[in-house]
Amino acid sequence: MENRIFEVENVSFAYEEAEEKAVQGVSLSVPEGAFYAVLGQNGSGKSTLAKLLNGLYLPTEGKVHVCGLDTADDQNIWEIRKQAGMVFQNPDNQIVATLVEDDVAFGLENIGVPTAQMPERIEKALSDVDMLPFRDRAPHTLSGGQKQRIAIAGILAMEPRAIIFDEATAMLDPQGRKEVFAAVEKLNREKGITVLWITHFMEEAARCQYVYIMEDGRIAMEGTPAEVFSVPEKVQALRLDVPAAARLAHRLRQAGMPLKEGLLHPEETAEEVARVCRLNSKA
Amino acid sequence: MLRDMTLGQYYPVKSPVHSLDPRVKILLLIAAIVAVFMAGNMLAFLPAAVYIFFACRLSNVPFNMLLKGIKPLRFIIIFTVVLNIFFLPGEKVWLDLGFAKITQEAVMTAILYALRLVLLVMFSSLLTLTTAPVTLTDGLERLLSPLSKIGFPAHEMAMMMTIALRFIPTLLEEADKIMKAQSARGADFESGNLMARAKAMVPLLVPLFVSAFRRAGDLAMAMEARCYHGGKGRTRLHVLKMHKNDWLAILSMAVLIACVILIGRL
Amino acid sequence: MQIEFKGVTHTYQEGSPFQSTAIRDVNFTVSSGEFLALIGHTGSGKSTLAQHINGLLRPTSGQVLIDGEDIHSSGYSKKTLRQKVGLVFQYPEHQLFEETVEKDIGFGPRNLGLSEDEILERVQEALRKVGLAYDEFREKSPFELSGGQMRRVAMAGVLAMRPEVLVLDEPAAGLDPMSREDMLQLIRSLHESGTTIIMISHSMDDVARFATRVLVMKKGTVAMDGTPADIFLHADQLEEMGLDVPVICRMNNDLRRLGLPLPEGIYEEDALFTALMQLWKGGENHAS
Repeated sequence: MENRIFEVENVSFAYEEAEEKAVQGVSLSVPEGAFYAVLGQNGSGKSTLAKLLNGLYLPTEGKVHVCGLDTADDQNIWEIRKQAGMVFQNPDNQIVATLVEDDVAFGLENIGVPTAQMPERIEKALSDVDMLPFRDRAPHTLSGGQKQRIAIAGILAMEPRAIIFDEATAMLDPQGRKEVFAAVEKLNREKGITVLWITHFMEEAARCQYVYIMEDGRIAMEGTPAEVFSVPEKVQALRLDVPAAARLAHRLRQAGMPLKEGLLHPEETAEEVARVCRLNSKA
Repeated sequence: MLRDMTLGQYYPVKSPVHSLDPRVKILLLIAAIVAVFMAGNMLAFLPAAVYIFFACRLSNVPFNMLLKGIKPLRFIIIFTVVLNIFFLPGEKVWLDLGFAKITQEAVMTAILYALRLVLLVMFSSLLTLTTAPVTLTDGLERLLSPLSKIGFPAHEMAMMMTIALRFIPTLLEEADKIMKAQSARGADFESGNLMARAKAMVPLLVPLFVSAFRRAGDLAMAMEARCYHGGKGRTRLHVLKMHKNDWLAILSMAVLIACVILIGRL
Repeated sequence: MQIEFKGVTHTYQEGSPFQSTAIRDVNFTVSSGEFLALIGHTGSGKSTLAQHINGLLRPTSGQVLIDGEDIHSSGYSKKTLRQKVGLVFQYPEHQLFEETVEKDIGFGPRNLGLSEDEILERVQEALRKVGLAYDEFREKSPFELSGGQMRRVAMAGVLAMRPEVLVLDEPAAGLDPMSREDMLQLIRSLHESGTTIIMISHSMDDVARFATRVLVMKKGTVAMDGTPADIFLHADQLEEMGLDVPVICRMNNDLRRLGLPLPEGIYEEDALFTALMQLWKGGENHAS
């Protein structure tokens, strides 16, 4: 059996004063090296789920295993957080130090990496997200996308096996969103780092390998993006949307145009539409 | 508006003074304060003045910047001088105002005190001008760390300072934005008496506090996720090491103290 | 009401070593009833420009005229100006501060010195406009609402000033897809009821759907000014500036490049759908 990075079994979680559970009976499983997405509107429980995945919250029912370690066991907690880092939504509220380089060092200092090894690991982590030239800058002089890449570097330096992104692009402009997503895709592709991408942007979810859609604390739908987005009505009923290209393809198909299934991205949709239209005019 | 405020007074240039170990600089400042207090007559200030002048030249900080540090304290200095002139007793009366006598001794003492204050401010300014706030915090933490054995939270204090320094620009920017947003709804932060103005700050301060708390919560979560668990077992990226210059600086301060004592005995 | 920018330049921290010019020699006129989208890269000067419209920032040189009057001339009342032009900042919910929704929305009208009756009327009207029930929300603390509701309350706080022009900086930022759609529909309905809208946006798809006119900012100057159809005809220029193009517009260009005889500059889903269906059916007829 392939290695499972995250193994969530029938997990529920309720905040202390809350009557309703924020997460209810969720099960999911993410294999090593994968790029999975969790999609859902605000308040669907996706951020709570994220915090259950590295022991920031502990499940009230069920089990969460990270790299085979149970998050409920106190002894595992630092190892789990070292293996599965987390990038949060607000770029400003996760940078601790007044200099980029010092911030990347923060995690290393916490886990007791010897001083002599630090500069090399910091340099490598910064260059992996193309931020090495900014090592001496103050964080507040950087753009949102740059700050998020610093946050990623801070985690990379700790050499994790997985990173959880909790709506890491929600507060960025399109440019920042693109640069962060591209950096993460590269890490997944080149370093085999497992990614769990939590978002409400359909275009991003469409580029992941597998999608869980959450609604009211439960997993309401799951499948490959092609499977999930091929039924726009169902996705829209969950107060979410479908990528524009998939929506158009769906409408054309319903109106009778014989397009193939599973179209998601603008480029492939355009090609398929052009192919079908040309076929028609030649015939 | 608020964004124009500069933070701290660190003067970012390269110099041998800037690159001194912050621990050494803090200890040297304490030594200098002691020296200035030991100086019993005006002549004894001379070596201290010469010392600060050359230290300033060496630091590449314009001398004006040092003098600027005195400006906010000018009222305290004038106040001390006036108090001393009027109320210190003495023998040689220069002027008799009836309710008080101005004596030569009193005037001399007043000048002595004023010079002492000016020198103290200049020495402290030189430290803050040549040491980045974070480095200063770092130095303080190391100096105080022996006290952590008796329960003094040296690491926590330093971490708090660092985070405060990190978030000051962010919160200033936010305050600026909130002020503009409330102005757009007709809020007036500038006119009215003191009470009215204090009341006008509520629409600024409440959102700012709410935001600071939200940020604190987020940051705590992010720090925990990055394996932060207090100062125990932490290693450091920057290790402070004493260099030749640090020893030279200590030596120079020893010479200064010796001079002050010698001249004071004359 | 007409807003006119005449050679407006703004330099931050002029004379200091940190001086930077955010906008330079900006000229344009907005008339009543327009829905103007302000687009551009982060740092292109959009926000600085927006803050000039209601006088929060003062031009370093040039003039901002409302109905021909310079808003910084000594005779011009700031109060009238704030009333005429409402400004909704990014993440406006971060400026809520009162104990109750009612008091928070009443803050603006109270600053205008209106009577209690008038304030009440305006609060009710503003809440109705943003789609929240007065009786249900008036006593609630703004801090216990959901993110989408908080933003509506903050919007209501500006609407209670009864502005003729509403300037919005990224009103849908950070909202999830449905709250986003609700917010945009709300803005559309305000526009339809006669409010002039000036909206800063990063989402070209929103711009394509709602704006009647687009102003593209580049490095502090106006690079393009026209209807969405005009602007999106120059998709390549926008991409050169590092800006997005609506997905539909990009697909239309791809399809044209692949040889389909589609018209240039389609940027709406319905339009592309219709054009493609026509093309495909036409091909079918042709074949039969």
